[in-house]
Amino acid sequence: MELERRGVVAPLVVTETFLPLVQAQARARRVQPRLLVVPHPVGGLNEAELAGRIEGAAAELLRMADEARGLS
Amino acid sequence: MSTDWDVAVVGAGTAGLVAARVAAERGLRVVVYERMSPGGQLVNLTALHDHPGGTGPELMSRLTAAAEDAGVRIAYAEVTRVHPGTPARLATGDGEVTAGAVVVAAGLSAGRLGLPGESSLVGRGISTCAGCDGPLFRGRAVAVVGDDEWTAEEALELAGSASAVTVLVPGEPRWSAARAARLAADERVEVVPDATVTALRGEGVLSGVVVRTSNGKRELAVAGVFPFVGRRGPEGLVAGLAADAEGRLVPGDGVLVAGDARAGAEQSLAAAEADGRTAGEAAVAALAAGTGSLRIVDPTYGVLPEDDAGPLEATGSRATWTDVALFTNSKPNATELLRGLGARLQAHWQLPELGFAAKDSASVPADPDQIDWLSQRFKMVLVAVGD
Repeated sequence: MELERRGVVAPLVVTETFLPLVQAQARARRVQPRLLVVPHPVGGLNEAELAGRIEGAAAELLRMADEARGLS
Repeated sequence: MSTDWDVAVVGAGTAGLVAARVAAERGLRVVVYERMSPGGQLVNLTALHDHPGGTGPELMSRLTAAAEDAGVRIAYAEVTRVHPGTPARLATGDGEVTAGAVVVAAGLSAGRLGLPGESSLVGRGISTCAGCDGPLFRGRAVAVVGDDEWTAEEALELAGSASAVTVLVPGEPRWSAARAARLAADERVEVVPDATVTALRGEGVLSGVVVRTSNGKRELAVAGVFPFVGRRGPEGLVAGLAADAEGRLVPGDGVLVAGDARAGAEQSLAAAEADGRTAGEAAVAALAAGTGSLRIVDPTYGVLPEDDAGPLEATGSRATWTDVALFTNSKPNATELLRGLGARLQAHWQLPELGFAAKDSASVPADPDQIDWLSQRFKMVLVAVGD
């Protein structure tokens, strides 16, 4: 979030369990973060499960990035 | 007397956020200083067994939002010293501030065993967060070290994924009968009283611990150990304030202490909430007593400009859209997740390369120099996880 405040486009991967807390923190910091929400947890996943998380978030990341860059 | 704040709260855990909200609801100017992010210990606990608040993160997000809605300002800076007085002075990462009343709700430090080689094994088998790292030990044996309510709760959390949980208790358990019953009911859990961890086993990653018990020495093969001993209160934070043997503060000198940081506090969520309410109300009463029966409220007086909230001025960076980096907080699988997503973006935008930066640990704030470098060098930084 500090990076966003400095004008850096900073998509943040957050797990769904922590989404409400991250949103509350964003309010406190007066920032509107770009969030990529993935199922919880991330730690402890095997290779296939991690690949699933990546696949699930990739489309939204690319959309978010293109939008920030003005390509969409 | 003019001060920067009416009430300054140190720590945005349960007790701190409740104290802040109570004071702010009475119209006082309240700031909460938090070194990392709001939530305290409860952020690490996925299930709350003795509270209807849902999960730890859900409860903490509600407490944070409630404090914000009441007008509390949350400042992300560390308080390194509190000087009681009229007004009280706080040395913070943002400089010195003054306050009419101070509530210290800084909680306890992370647990540690105090053994050789321990620091090199943190994150490599040693953890203090079952909710964060429990999945890493799915199907494997772990040990939890401690004797209090938090120890018992973390052990129960781990029992949901580990193959075996050995709870090593220095002395006799101090947790509630209800938690004792839940531990006894789980066949994956073994509670060993009078147990002291005397050595760590493993090269580069933990493979076991050596335990001394009343029955002699025992080698325990575990992939993870979660120490909840050696947790210290914020002794020394407040100039001249007494502390107990565990470094927890004794309120005095006009400084209020709430939650686990307070000597004699019961370690439970309900107690932390009650302590927070008591401290908030005491702060209100102390300030009212100091000003007499008539309080003139000027909503514009002493209100600091919000120069550290919202967007900052552009840093003069010359980065372009080919300058993209990954920034990991080093939580388990965060780097792998980032690299996977980064590879997709790299291919999509045909980037020649990606930059990379990492926090030393998820348990510490990002290095300011690292943030400076990233903001100057890159146009876009992909960050993980939830940090």
